[in-house]
Amino acid sequence: MESMNIISGRMLKRRVSRVLMHGLILMFLVYLLFPLIWMISTSFKPTPEIYSGIPTLIPEVFTIEHYLTVLEEERLLVSILNSLYVGIVTAIIVVLISLPAAYALTRYRTSVNKLVMGWILTSQIFPAILIMIPLFIILRSLHLTDSLSGLVLVYVVWDIPFVLWMLQGYVKEIPVELEEAAAIDGATQGQIIFKIIMPLLLPAVGAAVLFAFISAWNEFFFALVLLKSPDLTTLPVELARYTGIEGQARTGPLAAASFIATIPSIVLFAILRKWFSSGALQGAVKG
Amino acid sequence: MNRAISWILNYKGFIIAGLLSAIIISFYIAGELTARNSSGEVQTGPLRFLSLAWQEDAVKVVNEITDQWNQRHPEQQVELIQGSWSAVHDFLITGFETGDIPDIFHYESAIIVDFALRNYLADLSPYISKEMREDVLEVNWASVTRSSGEVIGIPFLNASSIVLYNPDLFAEAGVTPPTIENPWTWDDVHAAAEKLTIDRDGDGVTDQWGTALGLRNCANIFMNLSISFGGSFFYNDDQGNIEVRVGEPEKKLLGTMAKMLFIDKTMAPSGVGKSGTEMIPGFLAGNYAMVVSSGAWARQQLVENAGEGFHWAVMPPIKAISQSMGINSQTLSVPNSCTRQAVAMEFIQFLLSAENSTRLAISDWVLPTRKSSIADPRLQDVASGWNIVSQNAQHLSVGPWVGLPGYVEWKSRVANPTFQEFFSGRMSIEEVAERIERESASVLARYQVRGLKW
Repeated sequence: MESMNIISGRMLKRRVSRVLMHGLILMFLVYLLFPLIWMISTSFKPTPEIYSGIPTLIPEVFTIEHYLTVLEEERLLVSILNSLYVGIVTAIIVVLISLPAAYALTRYRTSVNKLVMGWILTSQIFPAILIMIPLFIILRSLHLTDSLSGLVLVYVVWDIPFVLWMLQGYVKEIPVELEEAAAIDGATQGQIIFKIIMPLLLPAVGAAVLFAFISAWNEFFFALVLLKSPDLTTLPVELARYTGIEGQARTGPLAAASFIATIPSIVLFAILRKWFSSGALQGAVKG
Repeated sequence: MNRAISWILNYKGFIIAGLLSAIIISFYIAGELTARNSSGEVQTGPLRFLSLAWQEDAVKVVNEITDQWNQRHPEQQVELIQGSWSAVHDFLITGFETGDIPDIFHYESAIIVDFALRNYLADLSPYISKEMREDVLEVNWASVTRSSGEVIGIPFLNASSIVLYNPDLFAEAGVTPPTIENPWTWDDVHAAAEKLTIDRDGDGVTDQWGTALGLRNCANIFMNLSISFGGSFFYNDDQGNIEVRVGEPEKKLLGTMAKMLFIDKTMAPSGVGKSGTEMIPGFLAGNYAMVVSSGAWARQQLVENAGEGFHWAVMPPIKAISQSMGINSQTLSVPNSCTRQAVAMEFIQFLLSAENSTRLAISDWVLPTRKSSIADPRLQDVASGWNIVSQNAQHLSVGPWVGLPGYVEWKSRVANPTFQEFFSGRMSIEEVAERIERESASVLARYQVRGLKW
């Protein structure tokens, strides 16, 4: 009887903690999603309703006028294409460089490893504003200002340290025994890397691609300063043009354009979602 | 396959070096090609014009005028770059430092002063036509002219402030609004605000406030209002240096606002954390009977967003010892580094011709700087408040802070945070005075050491 009470007490505790956990997750989700939902709701409200001072989540009158307004402005579409180009190319180059570098830094221990990692961490300390002017001068001497290639180069350099650091952590998690076992079975180094390690690193590659893409997609300051031609503007810089003097903004079009701006990130995440759940290591090595 | 991978691994050093070199070379070639395409344009190509017009109508007008110029001047094309108010400062600062700056740029008189003090701006005085010089208000020229006579920008729109009110709420409370001939004093505002502050449902919570004022980053508002109280915060000391003093006029100004906010409780406390723009939805919702020191541009928001049956009007500037108000205008400037300053100025004169100035003012809902535009019948309309906004031109005055080295930093580091604390109820007026005087001295001293002279 007593043992049954203990068991039911434990079950109750487990249930309560589960409910609490789910409650906290739900609250966190609401906290994360609320601004997005509010933005979407605003984008479908007519302007007088936005300024009515009465906050409503569901528009009283549903309109797509703000979407039509922003899509009529050719500049927004051009800026989306520019941002897509910059984001995709950055993500590809960052991963192509960081992945082998992370593997080498983890598996081949040399005297420069610590120095390299120390420098990578140190490079993260400097804010963009501090390096902007020297960076601009260097890029200008290479004729890379006012060019999407120049911007990609900056983003690649800016993103590599973090991505490298992140990928290094993933590589460390892969047991060396897997590579040793493959080598004993006669696999070459190339086969080990491409057939054993790469599939296991897919979640990490997904995260790296997503990070590099989103950071390039959202970046404002470098794009503002480095790109001058109207045809090369990226989306964040274009969005800033919906705000005016003394905090005024074209709120409806801004919300619509911002929602459009989030779509590629959501689509990319949906595509890469499978990668995040693949490559599980459970059971790879017997304890 | 295995052989190939082994070969790759054996020569990985060379391959990586080769790939990296290929990447660097391809970037260089891409850059070189871009430069070749554009280098020809830099010398003979279009002038770059950074515009900060952002309202749909204003953008349209600027585009139309630029297109007209380009049609009439095929050999002197102008490329329009659409900038944004929120990022223009960083854009220009890095542009000046790196030498890559548009040939003509739009900004505001209070801020371009700092650029002029660093010798970034061209003197436009030799290029200004007689017609333009005589037509633009003298007070506007004074705000952009250095003691040496150099003109650092062409002022074209004035950021004058207005008082908005809700005539229906006034009528309901039995309050008669002021007229241009008989403006209100602050005592009149206090009295009206008491009648207009109402707890409609009797639950002990105020539902309608007599006045509202966006107090976030309110240094500009108080600097401009201080002139009507006979103060200005900035004074010349015995050595001819500028010093900051919070004397009786400034204290009276702060006390007037504090009385409504803390003692009479007729000013909406929600204004403490909000900008002027953020007060407009509350005004539209009927929560405030008056919005004090709103920008003239706010009328555009009201016209576009007011629901059916909502009425609004503009009242003349409130009188302290005068109705004077400080000036800050939107300007067009040309950097010193521009090699075609005369052409750039030709374009500016075309863009800011009398007719175009009127169009720009109407599309942006702000007071133009040209006398002929102010007198235009379209800018005398009563329903949209243009008659009062146009009348404001005679009350504009140049504050002693115009051209003061370090003023922009003083506003953000000293004035705004101190006012914010004061209106949050954490400081007394005496403490505000002591802190502003103490902190101002250290900020301004730094600029005086640098020897910057307006």
